[in-house]
Amino acid sequence: MRHPSVFFVVIALLLPQLSLADASDGKVQGLEIATEADKRDSGWQFQSSDMEMILRNRAGKESRRKISSRQLEVEGDGDKTLSLFHEPRDVRGTAMLTFSHGLEPDDQWLYLPAIKRVKRISSRNRSGPFMGSEFAFEDLSSQELDKYDYRYLRDEPCGVYQCYVIERIPLYDNSGYTRQIVWLDEAEFRSIKIEYYDRKDELLKTLDFSDYQEYPGGYWRADTMEMTNHQTGKSTTLLWFNYDFETPLDSGDFNKNALKRLL
Amino acid sequence: MIALRRRCWCAWLIAGILGTLTVSSASSGDVDRQFELSLSGQFFPNIKSSSADVRQQFLTGLEAEFTSDFDSDHLIGTLLPYGRIASSGGEMNHADIRELNLLYAADDWEAIAGISRVFWGVTESGHLVDIINQTDRLEGFDGEDKLGQPMVRASRLLDQDVLDLYVLPGFRERAFLPSDQPLALPFPIEEDKALYGARNGQQHVDLAARFSGYRGLVDYGLAWFSGTSRDPEFIVQPDGTFRPRYPLINQWGLDVQLTLDSWLWKLEAIHRAFETEALASDFSASIGGAEYTIYELADSLFDLGLLAEWHFDSRDDRTTVPLQNDLFIGMRASFNDTQSSEFLAGVFSDLDDSSGSFRLEASRRVLDDARITLEAQTFLDVDSDNAISYLQDSDFITLSLRLFF
Repeated sequence: MRHPSVFFVVIALLLPQLSLADASDGKVQGLEIATEADKRDSGWQFQSSDMEMILRNRAGKESRRKISSRQLEVEGDGDKTLSLFHEPRDVRGTAMLTFSHGLEPDDQWLYLPAIKRVKRISSRNRSGPFMGSEFAFEDLSSQELDKYDYRYLRDEPCGVYQCYVIERIPLYDNSGYTRQIVWLDEAEFRSIKIEYYDRKDELLKTLDFSDYQEYPGGYWRADTMEMTNHQTGKSTTLLWFNYDFETPLDSGDFNKNALKRLL
Repeated sequence: MIALRRRCWCAWLIAGILGTLTVSSASSGDVDRQFELSLSGQFFPNIKSSSADVRQQFLTGLEAEFTSDFDSDHLIGTLLPYGRIASSGGEMNHADIRELNLLYAADDWEAIAGISRVFWGVTESGHLVDIINQTDRLEGFDGEDKLGQPMVRASRLLDQDVLDLYVLPGFRERAFLPSDQPLALPFPIEEDKALYGARNGQQHVDLAARFSGYRGLVDYGLAWFSGTSRDPEFIVQPDGTFRPRYPLINQWGLDVQLTLDSWLWKLEAIHRAFETEALASDFSASIGGAEYTIYELADSLFDLGLLAEWHFDSRDDRTTVPLQNDLFIGMRASFNDTQSSEFLAGVFSDLDDSSGSFRLEASRRVLDDARITLEAQTFLDVDSDNAISYLQDSDFITLSLRLFF
């Protein structure tokens, strides 16, 4: 893709009026960058992976969770996700099925193996913590382009990369954030860092992505994600394993029956 | 010692699955094993009994689960035995094969054969529609513990719906608490002399079907059951003992849930028709209500759920039907902490008299892979002719530590 500042100049020359508006808030450029990042992470159709979550409290005490998940890309709608919990062992076999719908509420079901019950649950709780971690449900949910308003802020170095820095404002209901600042590397449009600002617009958390690997089809995945809560001193590390873009999955692998027969 | 209170209706299947699991385990080692050991103390502070064994008892239970996919993408085998030893001994020791089955899953259908458990329904304070499995009264007062049911199920999986067809050979009798137990029914039951509506008794093959699915915010299920009732009646004998009788019934069940933002609206309804002689006449019953959750109460991590469910039964007799016109009001709290602490507390109130009961369930993870659970129930101001009057002094507290490995 063209360098956004070049793009900006082209737009500015062609559409002087729009450029005036844009010069004030960088919205066109912001959306352009987010669209390119979204495009580069589209077309994978299905994927599966395993994840280990390490929760650390302020004193450094750790607890762990293990989850495997599979995802199905849905044309024109949000992804379908099925997550199976392995640890802690008291929730082993519990599974969650989510059909995400961008700005609309997600459809979500929870399977409780001890009583073999599938419960439809409210997806209202986007800002609540996922399994007691520093990740909120909304941080781990399917990232659709139309969930945010974007604004280009600046270019700057970010670690070993050169990054675009954009601000995004959640458009979906019940977000815990007023805004997020995202650093995307200019070469591959991978998320390098995200800052989350709480409802009082104070810096709440920082998410750092590292150990990126490239998978067939040119899809990049970070093996490590570190979420630090600046207000509580707690942190959560996600370690990702066994990314698989090859084993085919279809919609039959994402229904209420599939929830009950995971191993 | 432990009495295995079940009949092996199809020994070949059990042998086959055990054999396959063993072979699979030996050859490829891909049998997944998990265990749950539970240590419980149960206390009855108000019981009028001189026996210390009854006022408090200790229970040790072990559930094992073995699963294997036999290196196949379509087949899953499950074996789930459970056994329990109680300090009060006798019939309180028991064991059950809760699951022993093979599941075959294809793209748009699946089938299961063997012993399994099935749950139907949506409400929290009672389960009307759920009928496939017999209740295990030895395990729990809330009726959520079930005995394994032999079955063949075939399911057609549609895009947003599922049609399940069940053939259920082999009836499981209800396991009753021994008469010296605090929560036991207040009359002597001749369990070995059960009567059946079906001429072939326990050999009667029951049938069931369920169509379920969702559209948008609505989840629904419509179910039909034809066979031996899981709920016994009691026929008084000349010698003053009672024989359980299991009539043949035809039952329709409907369950619906509307998930609307922070609101969950729920309804379960059944109509039961008796096909053979019964003390009761045909009846309908329903449970309807809502759960409203306040997420992140006062900007904390704490979620507070408020529940109200109304129980109605057309038999309209508070002396024989415990939940004929009763209201459940409850509160659910999730702390969303690292230990996943949660509690649920609620009151059942009979709207036709002053009887009621208060129930509490609380749990918290400890030691990474264990969970501590508190369950308590107290019976408030129970009317002497209410169906639960025999429970007046049976308030109980159960404290459990469950270890998972």
